[in-house]
Amino acid sequence: MMNPQSKSTALSVDLNNFIYGVSRRNAQNAPELTRTGLNLLKNFPAARDAVLEYFAMVFHDAVTVSISQTDYEADLAANGALESVSIIGPELCNLGQSWAPFIAPWCISLIMDIATKKANIPNTTLQSADPVRILLDITTQNLTLLNSEERAKCIDMMLGSWACSWAVGWVGRAEPALVAPRALQLGADAARAVLAHLAHHPPATHHVRVAVLDLFHEALREDSKPEKKRDVIPYLLNLASKSDIVLKALTQDIEQTLTDEVMERLCSLCASQRSSASWADTSAGALVALLLRADVRCLLLLLRHALSNLFCRQLLEYLLQKLEFECLFHDKNIPLLTSAAEEINIVRDKLLDGNQLEKYSLARILILVSYNLPSEFVSTISYLLQYSRDDSTLALLVRIISGTITMHVPNDSPDISMDTERYQNFVKTGVEYALRDAMLSDTEIKMCFLDGSVPKDQKTYLHHFCLNIIKLLRWENSNRVPHLRTRPIGRAVEANLYRIGGALQEYTSLMRIRKEGTMAYLDEMPTCHALAEVLDRVDMTGTKAPPPSVEVILKVVQATVKYFFRCLHLKETMEKLRGVATACRLLRKLCVQSKLARAAALRELLESAMFRDDAAFGSRPIQPAHYDHHPHNDLLIHLNQKHGPITQLTQSHTSVFHAGIIGKGVRKPNASDSNDIPPILTTNNELLMGALTSCMVSDGNSGLVEGATSVSLLLVELVSPDVMYNGLPWPDEDFTKQVSIERELYMRGALESCAVARAALRRAAAARPALCLASALLRATAATLLHRLRAYLDRHTQSAEMAKERAALTELLSTMTLGQLLPHPLSHMLELAPELTASEIVQVLRDCLWNYTRDHVPSPALFTCDSTGLHWRDPSTCKPPATYTDTLRLIIQKRISKLGHLYPIMFLNLEKEN
Amino acid sequence: MSVSDLKHSLRKYEFPACAKEALNRIEQLLVGRAAPSNKQLDIAMDIISEFVFCESDRRSGRRSGGLTPLQDLQLIDIICDYLSACTNETTKNTIFLSLFGGMESQRRLKILSILASMAVSASSTPVLLAVGVWLQQMGCSSSQSLQLVENVIRDHFYLNTSNQLALKSLANTAPQFVSNFITAVTELYMHDAQGTNDNKLPPKNLLEVITAWVYSNPTLCMSAQLNPAALPSGSIPMAAVTPLAGLIHWCALAPLYIVDDDTEMVEVPVPFKKIKLEGESDRSLIKTVTSKPLTESEFYIKLHLGVLHSLRAGRRTHGPPTAVNAQHLAALAPVVQSYAHNVLKRGGKIQNDHKLQDCLDRIGQSVQVALANGCVYGNISNLLAALDTLPENRLLRIIIKTHQQTI
Repeated sequence: MMNPQSKSTALSVDLNNFIYGVSRRNAQNAPELTRTGLNLLKNFPAARDAVLEYFAMVFHDAVTVSISQTDYEADLAANGALESVSIIGPELCNLGQSWAPFIAPWCISLIMDIATKKANIPNTTLQSADPVRILLDITTQNLTLLNSEERAKCIDMMLGSWACSWAVGWVGRAEPALVAPRALQLGADAARAVLAHLAHHPPATHHVRVAVLDLFHEALREDSKPEKKRDVIPYLLNLASKSDIVLKALTQDIEQTLTDEVMERLCSLCASQRSSASWADTSAGALVALLLRADVRCLLLLLRHALSNLFCRQLLEYLLQKLEFECLFHDKNIPLLTSAAEEINIVRDKLLDGNQLEKYSLARILILVSYNLPSEFVSTISYLLQYSRDDSTLALLVRIISGTITMHVPNDSPDISMDTERYQNFVKTGVEYALRDAMLSDTEIKMCFLDGSVPKDQKTYLHHFCLNIIKLLRWENSNRVPHLRTRPIGRAVEANLYRIGGALQEYTSLMRIRKEGTMAYLDEMPTCHALAEVLDRVDMTGTKAPPPSVEVILKVVQATVKYFFRCLHLKETMEKLRGVATACRLLRKLCVQSKLARAAALRELLESAMFRDDAAFGSRPIQPAHYDHHPHNDLLIHLNQKHGPITQLTQSHTSVFHAGIIGKGVRKPNASDSNDIPPILTTNNELLMGALTSCMVSDGNSGLVEGATSVSLLLVELVSPDVMYNGLPWPDEDFTKQVSIERELYMRGALESCAVARAALRRAAAARPALCLASALLRATAATLLHRLRAYLDRHTQSAEMAKERAALTELLSTMTLGQLLPHPLSHMLELAPELTASEIVQVLRDCLWNYTRDHVPSPALFTCDSTGLHWRDPSTCKPPATYTDTLRLIIQKRISKLGHLYPIMFLNLEKEN
Repeated sequence: MSVSDLKHSLRKYEFPACAKEALNRIEQLLVGRAAPSNKQLDIAMDIISEFVFCESDRRSGRRSGGLTPLQDLQLIDIICDYLSACTNETTKNTIFLSLFGGMESQRRLKILSILASMAVSASSTPVLLAVGVWLQQMGCSSSQSLQLVENVIRDHFYLNTSNQLALKSLANTAPQFVSNFITAVTELYMHDAQGTNDNKLPPKNLLEVITAWVYSNPTLCMSAQLNPAALPSGSIPMAAVTPLAGLIHWCALAPLYIVDDDTEMVEVPVPFKKIKLEGESDRSLIKTVTSKPLTESEFYIKLHLGVLHSLRAGRRTHGPPTAVNAQHLAALAPVVQSYAHNVLKRGGKIQNDHKLQDCLDRIGQSVQVALANGCVYGNISNLLAALDTLPENRLLRIIIKTHQQTI
């Protein structure tokens, strides 16, 4: 039984080498010894304590080397200790689960040893040293192999050392659920360090949070050991004041943490413990400092409790003051405000539906946020303009605007005006956004439409926006609100006129898309009224601000005209009148300064009235060509052919006049329904005339004349779009017969069927000398009257046609008389006409009217302007020569019995003057 | 030489050397023609304490904290050297027992554990034999022995799993150690008299090695008894307890505890924790050796056969039987009964419960072989009475009847 091995190698060569190598260890034999050690570990597990002890020495050496030699990397590889460490690392990582209970504690005590010994080395240097890295890897690897009980023991071991919180943090990443709660058992500073290191690892934050909350709830739980837990809450607060992670853990989802029950419990706890020494540090100041770093939900929670809890109220006030003070230093970054900016939607929502205290406090917060972040300023304005539904909220908006502006200290740079304008620009942008968003919101499908719970007086978002703006403008214009003295809202609205005009145009448009289930589906007129009122309340005259640009004016004019016509269609009289009045006011405001506006407005009004909205005025379509639904299929030419050879032989116009109107077939004897001349005196017509007049208002008479002149020109243009023959002169009567009769007929028809045009012509006549410019229209009427009456002769005296012709004649005469185109005594033709026979009328028309006007071209030059600015024709200077009056005179003389009373009026005075 | 001179001369040496020197001095003190006097023993203990284990240091207080692990290792190396160099078995055991015989020192026990474990690693026969003697003298079921055995198991069956072949050969080189070792191991596993379910099973590789030992070496279990230890003169030899009774327990109870039903599960839930790649490759290594790896229950079957063989080898030609204690076997009865009770409680039938029948069969076989070979000592009628209380089993019934008649 003798051992064959020699004496010196009783157990193994390796063991011997190791033992004696270690006792003479130096830098050179380290890798060799390390390999031997690893072999021993595998084959002689019992030697592990010794081997690990040796490895610890190696690690110590390696750490020393790598810290002192970080400069030249090349040398590191040559170093035995470092090489050994790099051999050890993977081996110890891979030993497996049964080894972990030995390796893990060894690692941890080694880390603690190293940390304690190298306490003077900065943590980061130590952490980045290769051997430490390797060691931490081994630790982590082996910790994960342990069962939870052993693991907890290891971590407790590590937490016991003050020097290696970084290591705990590092290793703890593998086991945050174990480390976090244990770290909290430490003193505040140590816990802070550990948690800070832990927080570098994102998944760990959840565990930190769980641990912190557990501790908190544990402290609140009602049981028999209140003494033991007395210090927990001050400790947590203290920790939070030092550690962002803890603060975040505590304040994240704070509504769920601090439910009402918890609050109640907390309050009672505070009441009973506040006097104790450990609570001394939890002053209001400390809490405010914490809140400054917390997120805005905490503030909201505080606000919620502030109303019922005195301490919360004081804390709130203190916090707000502190915030306002801190904000004076512009470069400070306050997390609470940052968070408020991030979660600004909640803050704003609260501002709308909170109680008074909440609203006022949040307004103060919003001022600070707005001051720091102009973009939030803009969006806040926009939001409140859209969603504010009562005066108090609007008042808060005013407060926020003025508060933010006053917080701003203008810097004394060369462009100081730009600096002061900056905030005005923000307000402007705010209004712009609000308008845009409100219009967008109107096109969104809303829940209330889907479930059918729409209130009766549901207003569109745009309507609400307008109401808010109107209210603000009212306050502003009252001059009683000092905050609004600079007219921020008014100026902002004025800067946005184009968009508001556009909005009005869009909402008044009949073609507007109205999707079901959206606000746009609601009746748009209330919104339009509100928009018009907004426009009505701002200054567009350019007295208080630079006058609006051409595009803006055009946009607003178009919108206003559209609005006007929409109002005309309203059923409810008061609403209609009020709307029309607003539109007129707007037009007046626009046109008083700008000729362009006037021209545009008049054209829009007339065009719309004549072509688009003609039905509203009782007019018939100007184009008589309704071939497709005339009552009979028989064409006029066929009917005429039945008359016999006369009509076939002649090419005369009479053929046309006898049987009917081309395209309409045979004339009906009493087709009064369709052929009546529409009346001029209707409500809508008057309203339109009022609108036209509003466009012409200016100081004195000139505006009226100018306006009427444009109306005349417009009428000519609209009735007869071709340029030829639209001049002032009246040609020979024969010329019309030959050349222009068709055109005259068309013009007559167009004018006659269009009440608006006739009414406008009358207005023009009243504003002398504007009628002159419509002479083409008068001429057309006169020419057609001549021809038709001549054609009728006396055969159809009582017919409807004749009556119509006579009415047309009366209107022509009265218009021309009004326009002073027929001087005394020709002006009395009006009274004479009803008594005359057709042939007499033909005579009178030709000799007295046509020839006179032909020879005396109706031109503005005939009219003189007097000192009051009135244009008129002096009757004394423009007596018509006898050639034009003789026909009249003869007719009266011939029928003296009936017309005698006119003779003295017409001729005697004339002669007397002579 | 006076005590102070002796110490003085030893103090000239530094640590590793002083231990080596001290061992020689102790040998001179303790080993002689006659038993050493009490004074000599005291001096020897004193020197051991101061110069070998450095527990008490009256010099400068330099080394007050005892030895470091590295120094432990050096000391172990020296002790190993000494033991290997020792030519006289009695001298060796004398020195070994003086070094580690004290029951009080946990530190020495730790060093002993390391020493034993390393001896196993290195297959160092002289040391292992000494450890075997120590185990026997301390009593295999004493807490110290169990602690040492546990350490060895952890080192060689959990930490280092790659040395199965070397372990298997130990049965040939140091059978006394192995025998005592197995006896202690049977105390560690499946030894809960209450028979509750949390009885732990031995790790599979331990079972495999023990099976290999017992199966290939029928005399192994008796070897501690067959080769009485060479003890120092004047000491009282302790009776060696064979592992047979413990192994019978294992084999009988294994069907009850192993939780693989009819499905042939390869992975049996055993305390052996398999996590890492290294373990995987180790297992494949074993596979190549034993062509087809046996399942745990198959190992127990093989072990059972080995035990039966060993029982046959345990027959003594003269003197009273010493192999198996009747009381020890009778202790099986309550465990089996409680299992049977559970089966009934679950509504099962005892006759149909093949696990229970398996267990009873094995008990019957073991008892029959043991009795037939006259290996059982103690109160055999008590044993038969205890077996009589077991659930119904044909084989057992026959055996009980047969032997009750012979008594």
